[in-house]
Amino acid sequence: MPVEARDLTHTYNVDSPFESTALDKVSFSIADGEFVGIIGHTGSGKSTLIQHLNGLLKPTGGTVIVDGLDLMAKETDKKEVRRRIGLVFQYPEYQLFEETVFQDIAFGPKNLGLDKEEIERRVRDACKLVDLDCDQVGEKSPFELSGGQKRRVAIAGVLAMEPGILILDEPTAGLDPYGRDSILNLVRLWHERGKTILMVSHSMDDVARLADRILVMNHGRLEMQGTPDEIFSQEARLRSIGLDVPAVTTLAGELNRLGFDLPPHIHTMEDMERALASALGGRPAAKKTEEATAHA
Amino acid sequence: MLKDITLGQFFPGDSVVHRLDPRVKMLMMVAYIVVVFLVKGFLGYLVLFAFLAGATLLSHIKPKFLLRSIKPILFIVVMTFVLNVLFTRGEKLLVEWGILHIYWEGVRFAVFMSLRLVFLLLGTSLLTLTTSPMALTDALERLLKPLKAIRFPVHEMAMMMTIALRFIPTLLEETDKIMKAQTARGADFDSGNLFARAKAMVPLLVPLFVGAFRRADELAMAMEARCYHGGGNRTRMKVLKVQRIDWYASGVMAGTLCLVLLERLL
Ligand SMILES: Nc1ncnc2c1ncn2[C@@H]1O[C@H](COP(=O)(O)OP(=O)(O)OP(=O)(O)O)[C@@H](O)[C@H]1O
Ligand SMILES: [Mg+2]
Repeated sequence: MPVEARDLTHTYNVDSPFESTALDKVSFSIADGEFVGIIGHTGSGKSTLIQHLNGLLKPTGGTVIVDGLDLMAKETDKKEVRRRIGLVFQYPEYQLFEETVFQDIAFGPKNLGLDKEEIERRVRDACKLVDLDCDQVGEKSPFELSGGQKRRVAIAGVLAMEPGILILDEPTAGLDPYGRDSILNLVRLWHERGKTILMVSHSMDDVARLADRILVMNHGRLEMQGTPDEIFSQEARLRSIGLDVPAVTTLAGELNRLGFDLPPHIHTMEDMERALASALGGRPAAKKTEEATAHA
Repeated sequence: MLKDITLGQFFPGDSVVHRLDPRVKMLMMVAYIVVVFLVKGFLGYLVLFAFLAGATLLSHIKPKFLLRSIKPILFIVVMTFVLNVLFTRGEKLLVEWGILHIYWEGVRFAVFMSLRLVFLLLGTSLLTLTTSPMALTDALERLLKPLKAIRFPVHEMAMMMTIALRFIPTLLEETDKIMKAQTARGADFDSGNLFARAKAMVPLLVPLFVGAFRRADELAMAMEARCYHGGGNRTRMKVLKVQRIDWYASGVMAGTLCLVLLERLL
């Protein structure tokens, strides 16, 4: 299911003193099975952009085409599009409402009109993905859970609809390191099932590690797009639009200034390990690599 | 859908109208409402229109934006018009069609009634557009101060109003967000029969209420942490002061009132 945006433009509060253009002629396309990261300063239009991809916001100009369906065309069934594209909002835990966790996760599949067994199967599958014990937590009220657990329930609610494309808006905002890792891990698991992922993030480290391709937003425009190597080699340009490079990239630069001779394009912890190991003239112990990968 | 609500929306600016003392503006509003109900004929409406147009021009608010505030009550205005045209009896018959009788007096009355509603709404919208909710409640608190003598909790009322006004946009924003999130999960808010629609509101209302209570809790905590303890012995950061332009504005308002009264008596 490829997604394509053509000259996507969105103006909030048209014809009022509060008029503001949040998206300005944004065009890109996303292929099946890609993991795309979206980065950009606060207010650059990332959330506005992703809400267009499943027809929640209507563009002021341009259009979005999902799997050949033109979202601007009148005859396009928006529900069909939303079945294919799952959207996890920023702070999704505030959308929980059912009496039990199980019922809340089942809300999406129920709206798809699935039968009972299929709903149950999907809820259990989604629970497993987000690392929640369905039998134990399933009967609790979602309001009794901790913030991190609530977030995982909310994400499970979207996963249970089994969308081919999953879009997440800053899924790790405000979580502790363990919570962050578990969310990023489930996103990776979902991607390994062959699904397309779009993830908005403020963490350059996460994006560098997970994404195949990166879209960079700046004041409503698509400033750059490319592989992590292409994007993060333009440090000055990123800094000028309020962004940064991953911490290890900065570290590599510092080390080179101190006389090391590390190769370019070090953006993840793994890159750094490999580079350091060969620079220091040895291979890292096998056990250590394993640990590092598990950590990454 | 939620975007059309102009009444109660503040549009920051630095015009003469913005700078008027909110108490004076509020009293002028009362006078304005009296004028709207006193106006009787064409000339009176002309005076009223001149007053409103002048105030709008001075406020630097786009007339088009101000006119939008009519949108939510357009239906009521049209209904008022139609009902008055159909059911007012008079002497000069214009149209007779079956049981329908339309009189000249009816048309005239209907036009004036509708205009009255429109002027009322435009005036109040201009007030809220040019006066921040804070200034409005502040002014209200000052104007109602005499009621303290009979132990009416003026300050508490004003504080409650300030908070309510402050959170209207937040709640609207939140509603919009939750609605979108549930729509993304396949919820359908605008199809099906009445029962289905009422049921579809549950996924919207529960998170909205939970959020409102959470916010109220946090606000109370934040206020207490800053030692808020009600109205006793509070001084003000901004002390309201009546200035020369306030007198001028009141003068214009009084003039308008006199003209309309004159028209009515003559
Ligand atoms: N509902 C709205 N009404 C009016 N303006 C809005 C609305 N939502 C967003 N905007 C404006 O649109 C612009 C882009 O906002 P958006 O939420 O898309 O940014 P973002 O990149 O997601 O930011 P963040 O990283 O803070 O989440 C901002 O200038 C914002 O003020
Ligand atoms: Mg955002």
